Amino acid sequence: MVRRISLILIFALSAFAVRAQNETDTLINRFQLEEVEVSARALTKDIIVPQTLSGEELQRLNALSVADALRYFSGVQLKDYGGVGGIKTINVRSMGSQHTAVYYNGVQLGNAQNGQVDLGRFSLDNMELIQVYNGQKSDIFQSAREFGAAGNVYLTTRKPYFKTGERAHVRAQMRFGSFALANPNVGVDIKLTDALSLTLDAEYVYSNGKYPFRYKRVLPDGTTAYDTTAIRQNGDINAIRTELGLHHYYRTTGFWRVHAYNYWSERGVPGAIVNNVWRNGERLWDRNSFVQATWQDEWFNRWSTRLLVKYANDYTHYQNYDVQLLPANNEYLQQEVYLSLANKIQVFNWWDLSVAYDYQYNSLKRDEWISGVTDERFYRHSHWLSAATAFNIREYLRLQASVLMTQISNLQSPISNPKITPGIFASFRPYPKIDLSINAFYKQSYRYPTFNDLYYTDLGNANLRPELARQHSVEVAYRFSNLQSSISNDFGYEIAASASYYYNRVTDKIIAYPKGQQFRWTMLNLGTVKINGVDAKADMSFYLPMRFVLRARLNYTYNTAIDVTNPNDSYYGHQIPYIPWHSGSAVGELDYTSRRGDHYGLSYSFIYVGERYGQQENTIYNYVQPWYTHDLSIYGEWTIRRYGIKANIEINNLLGQDYEVIQNYPMPKQNVRCTLAFRY
Amino acid sequence: MIHLCLYSLFLTLYSCRTDEVIYPTIGTHVTDEVRQGGLYVLCEGNMGSNKARLDYMNLESGDYYANWYGAQNPHQVKELGDVGNDIQVYGGKLYAVINCSHKLEIMDLQARRITQVDIPNCRYLAFHDDKAYVSAYVGSVADADMLGSVFEIDTLTMQITREVKVGHQPDELCVLDDRLYVVNSGGYITNRHDSTMSVIDLHTFTETEKIVVGSNPQRLRVDDQGHLWICNENEVRVMNHSALVTIIDLKASNISICGNTAYLLDAENKVLYAYSTIDYNLSNIQFPISNFENPYGLLATDDAIYIADAKNYVSSGVLHCYSLDGKERWTAKTGDIPGHLCRISAAYDLHGDTTPVTHHSSYIKHVYEYMPGMGQFVNELPKYEEGDDAAAMCRKCEAAIGNNAGGMVSLGGWGGYITFGFDHPVENLDGYDIRILGNAYYMSGSTVYGSSEPGIVLVSVDENANGIPDDTWYELKGSLYDKQVYTSRTYTRAGDTLQNPFHTQPYYPQWIAEDSYTLSGALLPSQSQTISGQVVQTILDYGYADNKPNTDTIGTAFDLSWAVDSIGQPVALTTVDFIRVYTAVDEINNPTGEISTEIIGAIDLHINN
Repeated sequence: MVRRISLILIFALSAFAVRAQNETDTLINRFQLEEVEVSARALTKDIIVPQTLSGEELQRLNALSVADALRYFSGVQLKDYGGVGGIKTINVRSMGSQHTAVYYNGVQLGNAQNGQVDLGRFSLDNMELIQVYNGQKSDIFQSAREFGAAGNVYLTTRKPYFKTGERAHVRAQMRFGSFALANPNVGVDIKLTDALSLTLDAEYVYSNGKYPFRYKRVLPDGTTAYDTTAIRQNGDINAIRTELGLHHYYRTTGFWRVHAYNYWSERGVPGAIVNNVWRNGERLWDRNSFVQATWQDEWFNRWSTRLLVKYANDYTHYQNYDVQLLPANNEYLQQEVYLSLANKIQVFNWWDLSVAYDYQYNSLKRDEWISGVTDERFYRHSHWLSAATAFNIREYLRLQASVLMTQISNLQSPISNPKITPGIFASFRPYPKIDLSINAFYKQSYRYPTFNDLYYTDLGNANLRPELARQHSVEVAYRFSNLQSSISNDFGYEIAASASYYYNRVTDKIIAYPKGQQFRWTMLNLGTVKINGVDAKADMSFYLPMRFVLRARLNYTYNTAIDVTNPNDSYYGHQIPYIPWHSGSAVGELDYTSRRGDHYGLSYSFIYVGERYGQQENTIYNYVQPWYTHDLSIYGEWTIRRYGIKANIEINNLLGQDYEVIQNYPMPKQNVRCTLAFRY
Repeated sequence: MIHLCLYSLFLTLYSCRTDEVIYPTIGTHVTDEVRQGGLYVLCEGNMGSNKARLDYMNLESGDYYANWYGAQNPHQVKELGDVGNDIQVYGGKLYAVINCSHKLEIMDLQARRITQVDIPNCRYLAFHDDKAYVSAYVGSVADADMLGSVFEIDTLTMQITREVKVGHQPDELCVLDDRLYVVNSGGYITNRHDSTMSVIDLHTFTETEKIVVGSNPQRLRVDDQGHLWICNENEVRVMNHSALVTIIDLKASNISICGNTAYLLDAENKVLYAYSTIDYNLSNIQFPISNFENPYGLLATDDAIYIADAKNYVSSGVLHCYSLDGKERWTAKTGDIPGHLCRISAAYDLHGDTTPVTHHSSYIKHVYEYMPGMGQFVNELPKYEEGDDAAAMCRKCEAAIGNNAGGMVSLGGWGGYITFGFDHPVENLDGYDIRILGNAYYMSGSTVYGSSEPGIVLVSVDENANGIPDDTWYELKGSLYDKQVYTSRTYTRAGDTLQNPFHTQPYYPQWIAEDSYTLSGALLPSQSQTISGQVVQTILDYGYADNKPNTDTIGTAFDLSWAVDSIGQPVALTTVDFIRVYTAVDEINNPTGEISTEIIGAIDLHINN
C-alpha cells in the first residue's frame, strides 16, 4: 500500500499524508483525492515537471525559511544577506529576481515597489509544498498572470486532514537555536462541518542575530594579512505571523477557500561590513497583510471556472539611527487589489481551451522625511488577458500554447501598447511503457518596471520599457522503478532523473546608470544578457530491508550568464554579478520505521555554490570565492496513542565555513537548531 | 548509473574554497614619457562595496600601480575602506578621506598608513598651517536640522581639536585670508537643496556668515587671484568673498585650477573648458573627451591635465593624461570610480625606493655640500637668508641647479666647493660620462681666450653606502694636472674686508657659525692677461669645470676614466656617486673681482631624457 501510493505521489505527498490515507472518512477521502489528483496531474499533465519539495521531506531539511529550502533546487540562485533577518531573494535560471513570481496558495505575492519578494519571511512550518516551475506551470487552467513570469515558485500551505471521528488537530512546536533563536509555532485545524474546516497558524520568531564571523585574508605568499573575528550587530529580528484559512468543499467538484495572512516584523538592518564600520543603526518595520479567496467549480464535466480575489496591504517603515549617517525616517504603504477569472473548456478529450482575465490595482504612498517627500502617491492599473490551449496526440505528444496580453498603465508614464507574449510547451513520450519524456518550451515574458524604477527620487525614469526575457529549454526526463513489477520485493527503488539545457536572452534589461553631474543615477533600459545552462537532477528512493528507506536528491547546475550589451564595455562577455558557473546540492536521508510506526532518521545535506564575481567586471578584485556548507540533522518521531511527538536537531554549516553569499555580508558559522513538536 | 555519472561530474567540477588572498599591486607600464614625481588616484568604489582603492602612477618610470595602498598596508583589516572621497598631500604626508568608513586616513608619501582620525561621514579636505580641515555631512552629535560640520585636526597630534556646525551636507572647502570657506550642498534634500557657503573665522572657529552662492553648490576652489570658484548645479560663480566677480554659465561637475587657468569639466556634454583666472576668457584648447562614458576625476598640473572616465560607475575606470595643449599622452586602467587625484613630487617604485625602476633623471638630484671660498657672490648665489644653515643652503643650491633648473651657484674664491649627485650612480662607460655646465664664454672672435674660471672636478664612490660623501675622493685629471700645486687656505670672518663696490654684502659665508674655515686642494696657475683693455683668461685644454662655454659639448664633458688617486695613479671606477667641483684659481682682478667657478648644472650623458 505504502509503495503504491508513493509511486503515484513520488515526491508530492508527505509520509504523514500517506499514513493518513490508510484510514479514511469521507471528508479525508475528498481531501486526499483532491491532493492525489493534483499530484497525479503533476505526472500526467505537467509538460514541464516542476521541482518539488513537500511534506516531511521539507520538514527534515536543514531549513528555516522557504529561502533555505530553495537552495536545494537546481537552476535557482539565492541571494542571502545573512542571518534570520537578512533579505533572501532568488533568481531562476539567472534571469534576475524580478523575473521570478512567487505564489502563495495560488495567488501571486506582489511588491510593486521593488518587485522582489523576500523569501526569508516565509516559514516552512506550515508549508506543505514548494514547487519551482521554469517557464510557467504548464497547466492551462490558471490565472492570466501566471502566464506572465519567467520563473515561478508556488508555495502551498498545509491543509487539514481529519481521520474518522476527529474534530480538531493541534500542533504545537518550539524551536530553539544559536544566536538566541526562539521560534514557537502553533497550528489548529478545526472541522466545523463535514465540508467546512478552519485552520489557524501562528508563529513567532526571535533572534538576536549576534553571530560571530571571521575575516581572514592571506598574502600571495601564504602569510596572514589579517584575521579578525567579530560579532554581527544590529541583526536582531522579532516577527509574528498569523494565518487563518477556511476551506469549504461542496458537491464533488467545487470548493472555496479564504486565506488571511498577517506578518509583522521589526528588525535591524545589519548592513555591509566595511573598513572601520562594524555596526549599523538602521531599523526596519514591516507589516504584510492580505486576504485572498478562491472559488472553483466545474459544470457538465467540461467547463471549469476559478475566481480569485485578493486585497493586500503592506507597510514598511525604515528608520536610520546611525549617527554617522544622515538620519532617515521613511514610510511606505502599498495596497493591492486583485481579481482573476479563469475558465477552461474541454472541447474533446484531447483538446482543452482556456481563457482568463486578471485585473490588478497597485498603489504606493511614500513619505521620506529626509528628502522632504511627504504623502507622495503612485498607482498602477494592470490588465492581463490570456488564452491557452492544450492538445494530446495519442499518448505520444502533448502540446500547450498560450498567449498573454498585458496592459499596464502607470501614473505619469506614457500608456504603453499592450504587450503580447507567447509560450509554447511540448512533451514527447516515445515509448508508452517507459517513463521517458523529452520536453521543450519556448516562452517570452516581460518584467515590468517597478515603482522604484519609475519614480524613485532622482533616480526613477518614467519612460522605462519593460525588460524582455526569451527562454528556450529542452529537457530529457526519465523515471524508473521496480515497485510496480515486484510489489513483494524486499528491495525497491524509484529513481527520477532529468537533464535540461536552456538558452535565455534578456534584453532591455533595466539597470541603474549614472548620468549627468554629481553622481546622479537613473534607470535605463540598457543591458543584454545571454544565458546558457544545463540543469541535471536526480531523486532517488531505495526501500531497504528492515523498514529502512534511503533517499537521495542530487542537483547540479552549470550556467553562463554573459553580458553582451556593448563590446566597448570592460565587462563585455563577462559573467554577470553573483551568478556562479557551478552550483549544486546533495541531500541524503536515511529513515527507519519501527514496528510501532515510530520514525528515526538522519539527514545530511551539502550545498555548493561555485566561484563568481561580485560586480560586472570579472577581475581579481571582484572575485568571490566558492562556498559550501555541510548540514546534518537527526530526528525522531513517535506516536503515543493519538499524540505525535517529533524532535529534530540540526547542525548547520557543520565545518564552520566563513563565507559570504554577497560580498561584505558575512554568513553565520556553525549553528544549531533544536525543534520539538507536539501533535494531536 | 546516472547517479554515479552525476556524482563524478560533480566531483570533477567541484572547485574548493581557498584562503582569500589580498592581491598585491600590479605595475603596468603605460608610457615611456618621463615626468617628475608621482600621481595618486583615489577610486571611490561603490557604497557598501568596501572597494575604495588607492592607485599610484610613477610618472618617472611610466608605471601605473593598481591597489598601491593594499600593497603598502596588507595588514589593514578590510583594506582602505568604503567610498574614497578626497586625497591631498600636505606637510610631507598623504591624507585621504574615506567617506563611508568615516575616517581620515593619514599616510606617508608612499601611502604607508600612519594613523586614522575617525570623522563621521567625512567629505573633503583643506589645510592651513599645522591644521587639516575636513567637512562632514554630520557632526559628532546628531543634529535635528541635519546640519553638517567642519572638523579641525592637528596635523602633529593627529587629533580633532575643534568642530563647527555649518550648513546642510557641506562639501568642498578652502582657506583664504585666515578664513575657511565651505559650500553647503544640501544634496540629500531633494526638493530644497542648500545654496549657501559658510565662512568660518579660523581664530574663533565660528561661522561668521553664510553667503548665498546658488543651489546645490558642491565644488569650491581658490585661484591665484584670491577669488573663490564655486560650482553649483546651474553655473560657476567666481566670488571675492561675498562679492560676485563673474558668472560662467556652465554646469561644471568638477574643477581644477593651475596657475592662472581654471579647468571646468562639463560631464554632461563631455567637454573640458579652460578659463583664464585673470580675464575669464575661454581658451581654445580642445581636450578630446567626447568619447568618455562619464568624465569624473580631474587634475590640472603645470605639465599635464589628468581626466578620469568613471565609465558606468560599477566597473573599472580609465585615467587619461593630456599635455597642456590637449594631446592625449597615455591612459591607464583604474579602480571603480576614479574621482580624486593628487600629484606628489617623489617617484616610488614597488619597493618604496625613491629611485625609479627604470627611468633616471640625467640632471642633478642632490646637493650634499656647499662650502664656497670667500667671494663677491657668496651669500648671493644662492641667497642667504637669516636662519639658513648649511643644509638649507644645499636645498637652495638644489633648487638653483638641480633637475636642469638653470639657476647658478657660485663657488667663491679658491678652494670653495660644491658636492652633488644624481638620482643614480653615474656609470663609467666608453668616452665621456658627464657634462658640467658653467658660465664660461669665449672672447668675441676667439677660441683661445675668454672668461674661464676653472674648477677641479673630484669624484667619489659611496663605499660605506651611507649616502653621505665621506668616502675617498679621486681627481679627474685635467690638462694642467702637472702644473697644479696642492695647498690649503684659511678664511676668517675678520678677513672679510675686501668689498667690491658692486657687491656689498658680507663675503664670508654667513651660515657658518665658526669665525674661520680652512679649504684645501690644488692651485692652478693664473691664466689671466689683459687684451684690448679686457682681462681675459687662456682657455684650458680639457678637464676643468666652468672653463669652456656650455655650447661646447665636448669641452664641458668629463670622462670618469681620468680619475687618479692622491698620488696620481689612475683608478678604474665603474660608477661614481658623488661629484665635487672646487675653484682652482686664486686671483682677484679689478674690477671683475675674484675668479670663482660657477655651476649651472650637470648632465649624466648616459641617461636619455
